[in-house]
Amino acid sequence: MMDWAQDSLEKVALSRQARAEQPPPKLTDEESEALLNEFHPDYLGMERTVNVGPNAGTQKFPLELAELLESDSPVPQGFEPAIDITTDVLILGGGGAGAAAALTLAESGLNVHLATKLRLGDANTVMAEGGIQAALTDQDSTRRHFADSYVGGHGNNDPELLRVLCEYGPESILWLSRLGCLFDQNEDGTFRLRRGGGTSVPRVLACRDYTGLEIMRVLKDAVLLTPTKILENHSAVELLDDGEGQITGAVLWDRASGKLVSVSARAVILATGGSGQLRLQGFPTSNHLGATGDGLILAYRQGCQLIHTDSYQYHPSGSCYPEALAGQLVTESIRAIGAQVLNVHGERFIDEMITRDVLAGAIIKEVAQNRGVPTPTHRAGVWLDTPLIELINGEGTLRRQFPGIIHRFERYGIDPAKHPLLVYPTLHYQNGGIRIDAFGQTDLQGLWAAGEVTGGLHGTNRLMGNSLLDITVFGRRAAESVMEKIPERQEATLVGLKKFREGLHEIQHPSPRTAPLLFPVASKMKFQLSGEASGESTNEASEEKTQFREPPDPFGRRMG
Amino acid sequence: MKLEPETVEISVTGKPVQAKAGETIIHALWTAGMGDAIKTGCVGGGCGACTVTIRFKDGKPGGTDLACLRPVEEGMEVFPCPVESIPAVAPSLEPDVASLQAAFPTLNRCTKCGSCTTACPMTIPVMDSVLRMQEGRFDEVSDDFTTCIHCGLCRFVCEDKVKPHNMGLWVRRSQGLSRDNPSLDQSSLTESGDELEKEWSYLFTGDPKERLRRAKYFREHGRAGA
Ligand SMILES: Cc1cc2nc3c(=O)[nH]c(=O)nc-3n(C[C@H](O)[C@H](O)[C@H](O)COP(=O)(O)OP(=O)(O)OC[C@H]3O[C@@H](n4cnc5c(N)ncnc54)[C@H](O)[C@@H]3O)c2cc1C
Ligand code: SF4
Ligand code: SF4
Ligand code: FES
Repeated sequence: MMDWAQDSLEKVALSRQARAEQPPPKLTDEESEALLNEFHPDYLGMERTVNVGPNAGTQKFPLELAELLESDSPVPQGFEPAIDITTDVLILGGGGAGAAAALTLAESGLNVHLATKLRLGDANTVMAEGGIQAALTDQDSTRRHFADSYVGGHGNNDPELLRVLCEYGPESILWLSRLGCLFDQNEDGTFRLRRGGGTSVPRVLACRDYTGLEIMRVLKDAVLLTPTKILENHSAVELLDDGEGQITGAVLWDRASGKLVSVSARAVILATGGSGQLRLQGFPTSNHLGATGDGLILAYRQGCQLIHTDSYQYHPSGSCYPEALAGQLVTESIRAIGAQVLNVHGERFIDEMITRDVLAGAIIKEVAQNRGVPTPTHRAGVWLDTPLIELINGEGTLRRQFPGIIHRFERYGIDPAKHPLLVYPTLHYQNGGIRIDAFGQTDLQGLWAAGEVTGGLHGTNRLMGNSLLDITVFGRRAAESVMEKIPERQEATLVGLKKFREGLHEIQHPSPRTAPLLFPVASKMKFQLSGEASGESTNEASEEKTQFREPPDPFGRRMG
Repeated sequence: MKLEPETVEISVTGKPVQAKAGETIIHALWTAGMGDAIKTGCVGGGCGACTVTIRFKDGKPGGTDLACLRPVEEGMEVFPCPVESIPAVAPSLEPDVASLQAAFPTLNRCTKCGSCTTACPMTIPVMDSVLRMQEGRFDEVSDDFTTCIHCGLCRFVCEDKVKPHNMGLWVRRSQGLSRDNPSLDQSSLTESGDELEKEWSYLFTGDPKERLRRAKYFREHGRAGA
């Protein structure tokens, strides 16, 4: 197994016993900052301003996102929305945030439709492994949770949003438990809590390494038992408005029939999640197929401010061997219980529990300076010494607590209990997004947003476990705010899009793509209307402009 | 040391597809521009959308699997096998064999054929777990279905209309609803007292730089500083 790395593996095995006792290398704040500035992808200047919309000229976006923000809509010129569906509330996105909102609205008496790109639950939420944070013990408090997250977010968090998140932590766990989520318990029945990178006390609850799966399947089952009408394989491709800045519905694309469906709604909740599938700078991603940043595009066109969208989370431990698992996540919890990160010489070079951005920078540095382990599939990474977990915690720990990791690697003949894994940062989480207030309302009347699509809460670096809490707290909160403030029905028009298109005319080089992108470029799947309108999609035209490759080469821009 | 990836040929619903050794069926379809051929959700073995059946030209045993995790192999014949979901069944606050049987009348139809276990891409001992359900050994059942991604294959292959994964979820949710969570007692849910407000105002000073400094102090000491 991995005999191409035999020398390096021997060094790792030889130093294991001694390393087990060693304290982690310590970094000064200045050293951390230097790692970020020199090696973290956010800091390499791969961004630019855009020439349309509310943040035109004032704010920088990653190149790939900037291009989409300057792209035209796939909705054909001259399309007039004839209303096909009339509802009170339209939820866009069937991940955790959308499902939590739907459940909360179930008893409101309002008519609710939930439209989602794939199937209900095919989302980033279902993939979450490590866990969910909430302050539940005596040594912990909601303030300590706040302090950890604020420091983790480099002080760029919106303090009001963050306070709401932390204060509603314990109650959210109760809500999830009452729906039937089974979080891991200790012998005495209390929850088993783990540390996460940047937490000062153990605060992360989990269901083995399938926490997101547990939350998503329970939420999905519960939503299916409500009167919510679910529209699967329906992607939102545009928002509708009343011509005066209030959001009044959306245009959906039904993938099965290839038709556009216009929905009139009194309130719209955007819960379309993140954008890892934009694969910034050619990085692989841990995200699901539908994570193409669609919500950002839709809201921006209508005039919503985007914040911190130049900040992405590159998860330090994306798998980089075998090829079939490239980019997929190896949860942070595995570092929390003892797996060390080592270079090709079997040396430890960083405290594994430092914040994700610094650790990612440190790994990229090792590889860029030729202390990484090259794979026969043209990638390179560093070791994650998983057998050390067994040495520290006893044999069988991995299998008991991390069945997911074992299951995924075993099918490629790798037993993580005996064999270290190779990891390299993977594009994982969109830290920024649509600006919201403490009730999930956006800058616009009629439009709420919740979950990964929003920005501000996590500042410029999210702590593990705060996102599953985010979708629970803010998915419910947005729904509650909708119940309180739902406006009367107004006309549903494409005036907002028309204005945006006028703005596009004025810029020199609008992108030849259409946006929202809907599917990753690498998948070659795209928006297509049935009948004569098909073939209008121009995504292929710009294939060369932004380089996307499958598999992507994360070193394209860093190494010789 | 860098090897050029070897090319293999597979077929998907009868259509030949050239693929690189080591990549998954889904990634091969993407490169071939055939991404729509198999339903896909998470691309990471977590959502159960991409169920397929696999055969080999040379008669090697095939079976069912997830196309987003399964690497291509020469001569592999892949057929999409999407499984539609069925209506949800409300969980019970008092889960026992009788309430499970009422919720799923086909519980006892199992003929122990073992197909479900063979079909499961998550190596869950599905048939054994159905037998444990019949005996009311629900703790074990919950444990068995911890890793179930609800791909539906176990139900799809069951000729006797047993719905193993739906029952598995029912048992898990019912157990979750009805169990005690001592961590969620009143004291951890409602914090109060002067300290609370003092600490929040310590952390909510107007100046962002000072706020960050205070947050650092707080996380190290677990309380407000002077
Ligand atoms: C591999 C992985 C592991 C993670 N681990 C953890 C963890 O341990 N702890 C933690 O707290 N967080 C974790 N996260 C982050 C967390 O899971 C996500 O940030 C969170 O679940 C996002 O929830 P959401 O509802 O906002 O978005 P999602 O769950 O992604 O849901 C968005 C939904 O909207 C749909 N959609 C997208 N575009 C459109 C459109 N145009 N029209 C209609 N529908 C659309 C999507 O298909 C999807 O169904 C992890 C993420 C990943 C990818
Ligand atoms: S496939 Fe059906 S009948 Fe066969 S063992 Fe499984 S549950 Fe029983
Ligand atoms: S138990 Fe059934 S639904 Fe669950 S993963 Fe296995 S085959 Fe799929
Ligand atoms: S696409 Fe989700 S399991 Fe394969």
